[in-house]
Amino acid sequence: MRSRRRRFRPDRNDALGIGWNGPAIPGLVLLAAGFVVPMLLLVGYSVLHDGTNGQVKGPITAVNYIAIVTDPLYLRVLGNTVLLGVVVTFICACLAYPLAYFLVRSRSRWRGSLMFLMITPLMISSVIRNIGWFPILGDNGAINVVLLAMGLISRPLPLVNNLTGVVIALVHALLPFMTLMLIAVIQAIHPEIEEAARMLGANPWRSFWEVVFPLSRRGLAAGCALVFSIAVSSYTTPTILGGGRVLVMATFIAQQIQSVLRYSFGSALTIVLFVVALSLSLLSARWLERRDA
Amino acid sequence: MKALFRLLILAIYLFLMAPLIFVVISSFGDAAMLAFPPRNFSLRWYGQISPELLDALWVSLQAAAATAAIATLLGVWIAFAVARGRGAFPALLKGLSIAPLSVPHLAIGVALYQATMLSWDFSGVQLAGTFWGLVLGQSVIAVPYVVRGTLAGHAHIDPRAEEAALSLGASRWRALFAVTLPAIRPGLVSGAFLAFLASFDDVPVALFMGGGENSTTFPLQVLASLEYSLKPDIMALSTLIIVASVVLMAILDRLFGLERFLHGRSAG
Repeated sequence: MRSRRRRFRPDRNDALGIGWNGPAIPGLVLLAAGFVVPMLLLVGYSVLHDGTNGQVKGPITAVNYIAIVTDPLYLRVLGNTVLLGVVVTFICACLAYPLAYFLVRSRSRWRGSLMFLMITPLMISSVIRNIGWFPILGDNGAINVVLLAMGLISRPLPLVNNLTGVVIALVHALLPFMTLMLIAVIQAIHPEIEEAARMLGANPWRSFWEVVFPLSRRGLAAGCALVFSIAVSSYTTPTILGGGRVLVMATFIAQQIQSVLRYSFGSALTIVLFVVALSLSLLSARWLERRDA
Repeated sequence: MKALFRLLILAIYLFLMAPLIFVVISSFGDAAMLAFPPRNFSLRWYGQISPELLDALWVSLQAAAATAAIATLLGVWIAFAVARGRGAFPALLKGLSIAPLSVPHLAIGVALYQATMLSWDFSGVQLAGTFWGLVLGQSVIAVPYVVRGTLAGHAHIDPRAEEAALSLGASRWRALFAVTLPAIRPGLVSGAFLAFLASFDDVPVALFMGGGENSTTFPLQVLASLEYSLKPDIMALSTLIIVASVVLMAILDRLFGLERFLHGRSAG
């Protein structure tokens, strides 16, 4: 008869005694073949240079990176991208604070439904969300039709096929992320602290700046880092709402690789984009460390 | 002050809902071009959705189902190894399986595309532009959601329940399926759902790995048709997708609570 007694290992949180490492190997293979090796190849390509017809040639050189940080055209693309990221992150933070505060503190019986509504855009395909802006912002869209009818403007405002449309749609796409990050930290702030501030004579505005804001900056930093990194690397929104006229890093990379076949240069651009996308999380981590020290 | 605050919240909600509402409104017009307000109410475009769009939606659904299945099957075991494995393997696996979340998806698409072009030169097997090439790329971006979701579930497992099952005579595998897996099911479902969504929503990976006959997804088809004009049939199909998504969300909310799904989502 098979013994049913097994060694008890209180440290392992595991009574089953299955060799857990083995079954994970197929997943490891997928990540190695589909992620690690391609990323290493990307780094490798970026320090070579482009020949003709999509060939990548040696020797190892930094010529791509030097071009990106010296050529005015490439610098403008990089600058546009960072500017887009900063503007979108700032607007998201401004809108997310009242929204998150409301969702945490509200005692409305609609709170659950409002939470659901806030998340809904996250779960809808980004392409659909983006094309939904055309009947609103386009030349024949709701805003222009209404403003023209009221006589406030004499010709349609250019709200799509430019950076304005891209900013509006990106703020819309990323606002829920920022809000969720802020909800997580505002939830941890006791309402009593705010009440105390108010009883000591602070108006709501002051109690926000001196109580809620300082106590929530960890969530704000995390939210800004997340929103910034998604905004600077976004491809879909600048493509759809930029109407082919907005060149940011992501659209520029796709163009260089798919149309111009400059694989090596495109790889270097991709690495630069990666660094830019991570920059704000690194900065905000340092900022928090300094503040906490 | 309070009224002003409420007005601000209302305005933010209008902003959040606006594009979805306008997709629905403009799907009911009967003009060939989008115009606001739509002149006559009509369901005309629902009957005239272009076959290319429907084909692309079908490809998207298949790719998303395949991606969710692969990412879930592989991701569950990665999470088990991370939670219970021995040696340095768990730490390595954890870092590696979460890493694709912090790399721009466009970078993953570009890198994978170049790798498959290189392997094409050597082996003659072309993956970019095929269905399984697309699924491979989308699985890479989907695995982190499954691993994270499942790991969250692992925190709630009571090891005594497994011991109890064993001492009552269950085999190890029976205990795994009857005790352990049900305990992590909510995290697993949320991970699988987010994996499906990562694929269905994906543009940057499909841009490089898709675009072929069986790999032109719905987003790619919409992007391609935007080069000419935004036809109302796109709005009609999008309306149907919105309705399906909201119904699915409501079901998941009822069954598992949407809060669980909140932390995982991230997209560009």
